Amino acid sequence: MSAPRKAGGAGDRPDLLTAVLFVGFGALGLWAGRDLTLGTASAMGPGYLPTIVCWLLIIVGVTVGGIGAFRDRQEIATPKLWPVAIILASVVGFAFIAEYFGFVAAAVWLLLVGSIADRDSKLREVILLTAGLTAFGALVFIVGLGVQMPIWPF
Amino acid sequence: MNFIDLLMLGFSEALTPTNLGFCLLGALLGTLIGVLPGIGPTATIAVLLPITFYLPPLAGLIMLAGIYYGAQYGGSTTAILVNLPGEASSVVTAIDGYKMAQKGQAGSALAVAALGSFFAGTVATFGIAIAGPTLSSFALSFGPTEYVSLMLFGLLAATVLARGPVLKAIGMILLGLLLGMVGIDASSGEERLTFSAVELFDGIDFVVIAIGLFGFAEIIENLENHEARAVLVSKLSRLWPTREDFRRAWPAVLRGTGVGTFLGVLPGGGATLASFCAYSVEKKISRNPSEFGEGAVEGVAGPEAANNAGAQSSFIPLLTLGIPSNNMMAMMLSAFIIHGITPGPTVLATQPEIFWGLVASMWIGNLMLVVINLPLIGVWVKLLTVPYRLLYPAILLFCCVGVYSINNRIFDVVLAAGFGLLGYAFRKAKCEAGPLLLGFVLGPLLETNIRRAMTISHGDPSVFYERPISLVLLIATVGMLVLMVLPSFRRTREVAFQDEEG
Repeated sequence: MSAPRKAGGAGDRPDLLTAVLFVGFGALGLWAGRDLTLGTASAMGPGYLPTIVCWLLIIVGVTVGGIGAFRDRQEIATPKLWPVAIILASVVGFAFIAEYFGFVAAAVWLLLVGSIADRDSKLREVILLTAGLTAFGALVFIVGLGVQMPIWPF
Repeated sequence: MNFIDLLMLGFSEALTPTNLGFCLLGALLGTLIGVLPGIGPTATIAVLLPITFYLPPLAGLIMLAGIYYGAQYGGSTTAILVNLPGEASSVVTAIDGYKMAQKGQAGSALAVAALGSFFAGTVATFGIAIAGPTLSSFALSFGPTEYVSLMLFGLLAATVLARGPVLKAIGMILLGLLLGMVGIDASSGEERLTFSAVELFDGIDFVVIAIGLFGFAEIIENLENHEARAVLVSKLSRLWPTREDFRRAWPAVLRGTGVGTFLGVLPGGGATLASFCAYSVEKKISRNPSEFGEGAVEGVAGPEAANNAGAQSSFIPLLTLGIPSNNMMAMMLSAFIIHGITPGPTVLATQPEIFWGLVASMWIGNLMLVVINLPLIGVWVKLLTVPYRLLYPAILLFCCVGVYSINNRIFDVVLAAGFGLLGYAFRKAKCEAGPLLLGFVLGPLLETNIRRAMTISHGDPSVFYERPISLVLLIATVGMLVLMVLPSFRRTREVAFQDEEG
């Protein structure tokens, strides 16, 4: 999975993305923990180690980014929005439908919507698969293992 | 109790109908996911973790362990027959195994792989049985200082020995540590890094992170790298190696077992590293290295023995010291914790049936796997023709129900979806998510021990280099970091891992 390399340019894009993520999380951590007591080395407060870890994360992030900026240019493998968006939407949808309408409705949503993430899916297969897996899930997880989720909306 | 008594205790535990059943289930599931490319043992165990909560502790652990080493057997089947390594650890098997299959020796290659794995599994099981009590009695003398140094050593060694850039791996560990700190601080009772969300007061659940980073992110990535899987199954010949194959394979199996058992114990080691090293060892010792890549039976026997031995011996640090050495072991650690057991030296003393039962079940599981894999090979090959579009909806459903069932709340499902997105971003940034899991499970342990050590020493950091065991571990840690800076070592490391990334 080697990304295309263009001659002439500089900047390893995956490395720069890493730097953004690391520095971002480090900064977020520092901000979220800004009110925590630091304490001293012999009596560490709840904020002592988180602060150290956040700063280390920022330092690592900056280093990765700094080195990456001078490397040969490398592109990030082009993201395809379709699978990401569909899979995440189906999962989040499952969560909310399960809360209000029970397992069957949620599973049907998850499987129907999830299936359109792959463009190869065939309607007949998807319907059969959804019916089968929903029944299987309801029997095994809810009846069999006792997961606390209503099966039906009523 | 002496050694034999303890082993007997283990077998009596492992041979109860329930445990035997879950051992078989784990071995079957492991083979299944090993055969199917696109589903790894990490994702599978993440999905099944919440379910083990409903099982007796030992049965759950036996099943999860079975999945891990079962995947090593299954992975070799696809590697040999269709040149598609089902697991990262069987990538090298595909090189010579597939060539053998093309020459009409598929049966021989499969048999060598299965029998070699069984032999290696047996040796590694005895390795655990012998090393376990010794190491854990040693670990009982560990204080907080030693544990801190041991964990630092383990975390850093894991980054050096695993694939990918070391600096990124260190960053991922730090992020894992940070995520592990979310929730109520154990010593002061203050909530921290929770953004005032009540759902986060108990911390983020391991399963949420594991399913997000490995379950959801993996599905998304597989759908994106959508490619036609042309499955050309080689014809199966006789299922027994020739005398010549036997003669050439057994020394390779012995060497592979040795390499695998040793590398499995090291932090960051495990099946994948073991099989790569075993392959290069075989190539180096061989009198005619040019045969490698053209169907050398040693190239199948060595790595296959090594990956199974490595998969099993990587349980040693977890069971004896309570320190997981790779992300699979991090999963196992949280499986223990789900049942309120903290693995480590005390488990061996207080709950010997857990340790010995697990060890005995590994040997039984290996025996089952030989049977599952050799005569039933045709069934597994058929499964290869199941398209991914029929598989991933099922995985998706298992992931969602699994995450929901931990605390019966939708918050966890949405959070897992968030981690799925994060995992996807990290894949784009070419960061391995494994070290994050290691940091996450070790984080709380590391923090408690650092605080304890510093309180005892009144804030004086010199305790870390004044106590001998701790000093040795710290020197080893620094030594490793220095090695990483040396250009010659970096080059060797890059060569060792380059095939894997192809």
